[in-house]
Amino acid sequence: MSENHKKTDQTPEKDISRRDFLKVAGAMAGAAGLTHLASLGVKNARGSQEGNGDGPRWGMLIDINKCIGCKYCTYACQAVNNLSDDMLYNVVTTETTKSGTEFFLSRPCMHCDDAPCVHVCPVGATYLREDGIVTMDYDLCIGCRYCGIACPYDARVFNWRKHEETSSRVPEYGVPEVPPRPRGVMEKCTFCQHRIDNGLERGLVPGVDPQATPACVIACPTEARIFGDLNDPNSPVARMLSETKVAIRLREDSSTSPKVYYIPPQEEQLDLRVEEE
Amino acid sequence: METSIQVPTVRVGKREIDIFPFWIALLLGGMAFGLVGVYQVFTQGLQVTGLSNQVPWGLWIIIDLSSIALGGSAFVFGVIVYLLRIKRFETVGKLAVLLGFLGYSTAGLVLLFDIGQPLRFWHPVVFWQTHSLLWEITMCVVLYLTVLLAELLPIIVEHPAFSEHPLLDRFRILRKASNGLHWLAHRLHKIGPVLAVLGLTLSLLHQASLGATYSVLSGRGLWFNPSAPVQFVLSAMGGGISLLFFLSVVVFRMMRPNLVKDDVLHDIARIAGGIILLCIYIRVWDWAVTNYYSFDSEVALQTEMLNSISPYSTSFWLGQVIFALIPGTILLFSRRIQNFRILTAAAILPIICSVLMRWNYNFSGLIASISYDPFTPNVILNSYTPTWQEWSVATFVICFWLLGFSLAARYLPFFSRSHAHPAGE
Repeated sequence: MSENHKKTDQTPEKDISRRDFLKVAGAMAGAAGLTHLASLGVKNARGSQEGNGDGPRWGMLIDINKCIGCKYCTYACQAVNNLSDDMLYNVVTTETTKSGTEFFLSRPCMHCDDAPCVHVCPVGATYLREDGIVTMDYDLCIGCRYCGIACPYDARVFNWRKHEETSSRVPEYGVPEVPPRPRGVMEKCTFCQHRIDNGLERGLVPGVDPQATPACVIACPTEARIFGDLNDPNSPVARMLSETKVAIRLREDSSTSPKVYYIPPQEEQLDLRVEEE
Repeated sequence: METSIQVPTVRVGKREIDIFPFWIALLLGGMAFGLVGVYQVFTQGLQVTGLSNQVPWGLWIIIDLSSIALGGSAFVFGVIVYLLRIKRFETVGKLAVLLGFLGYSTAGLVLLFDIGQPLRFWHPVVFWQTHSLLWEITMCVVLYLTVLLAELLPIIVEHPAFSEHPLLDRFRILRKASNGLHWLAHRLHKIGPVLAVLGLTLSLLHQASLGATYSVLSGRGLWFNPSAPVQFVLSAMGGGISLLFFLSVVVFRMMRPNLVKDDVLHDIARIAGGIILLCIYIRVWDWAVTNYYSFDSEVALQTEMLNSISPYSTSFWLGQVIFALIPGTILLFSRRIQNFRILTAAAILPIICSVLMRWNYNFSGLIASISYDPFTPNVILNSYTPTWQEWSVATFVICFWLLGFSLAARYLPFFSRSHAHPAGE
């Protein structure tokens, strides 16, 4: 199972096929502007293919009304991924609604279907798995940081220094579950793919069974985060999404199709309903 | 038509002193200082820089972009000399090839320090991700550096040391190696037109893609812009040819009088002037599109905030418009002006303009970035100050460029003996 999940067509370990070669030769023959158009074309084509597969498509729903800003999600993430205190895959910020009411916005990686970081990576170290998780091959990354520049959510984190000591969040919020990354690579939230992969092997259901669910979801004391398979109508996240008419996604303007949805604050929901009508 | 090289000297009392050894010593000193920073970056990683997750590209990327841009004369003169076969530019073309090679090798060098995993610099060549502009740029730069090396080798091999050095008669193996090099140089010279076409293609591709690197990022309003690739190509041509003109005056007019006619230099200035004016025409339209015709409130806010913390508008109007418009016009009318002092002074400004444009382009999107807050999106101001280690590495690569240029300016045989026979064969 995990073998299937390992890579998608982005994988660089595949042979460089004739099609790839012709594509490159074609690009070289054209003017530079063509590459721009070509990349946009590929982007659109890929975007429409997403979500039609039979397998799971992992997603998350965050209810802003339930979030109390305790940052347990951030701490659990740091413990499980063994991050130093200044490295955050998951960020909780205080934002305001249009009328000025404050609310807490917690932001993991959006795991976009059309992720800018995947498109820009020069070596294919960042790639989209078949189950929709955007993840990293830390052995490929050259540390150019283009993904960090491309990400509209500021979700990419660079490993600036050699990280030897254990995270200060251990053991209070969890224990390290993934191998350490070398200095000088870009890191990111993986929706705790190791939990999902191991859980599925053992017949668990991610989003339902805690061992197979991302650490931030389990750590949340108010159950503001719901995780699951967006393709399965019976999964908690899909059920909640169909019940909630006003779920939003961040930065829809950059057409990245995130798989993290938000239930907006009550007052904004009213606004959104009015706009709909 | 053998020419002698006049070296720059300084008069101390009654003696004329050749300043060349002192200049080289200064550059080596600069490189030694640079090695301190290089050592720290390699041992401690990028934590010694002022870069952050919000501003991940800084001073080194500007040097990288600028040195590639200022090597832009190589592909233009590659085409003029090797493809169009305009003979009077042949000598200047050699300098252009040299500047291209130096620019691209400097860019490669600085990138080696800039990536987090320097030992994996070869990954893009092996692990292809054909959707990435950065992949395309890496491949183009690697291939183009090869093309430039192939164009440069015949020029270097013409140095008398490769055919007349006494050691060549002493050791047969050296003579054989020398013959081999000459054979290779001859072959490479023969396929000049092919190299010129390759160079043109690769250059246009990656010079444009360097602009597109920023402009395809839909999440960054100030960058998301279809005309950046064109601007980057034109500004690289304008800045690169201005640099070529400036250094041609130094290498030919000052150091090798009578080798290149003034008319040829005037023509280079005219080419540069024309391209600079074309570039600024597109740049101003682009400004109008983003600032005047656009009603994107986020872009407007970004510009406003950039102006509040930096001389963003000033550097645009002064550095990119005035520094292009005035020298562009002067260079375009170089035949009428004739005065080389004015012309060389004017040629410096477009060089600064090209660098400044890349500086502004890179930092505008990074310093003032748009937040992902869903209801009240605002512009976040980030800050970046290069550390001394970054300046140290910058000194290293700039001294590397200057050293390469200085040695070539003094020792490279720009006057071709073997190809002095009627050409076109």
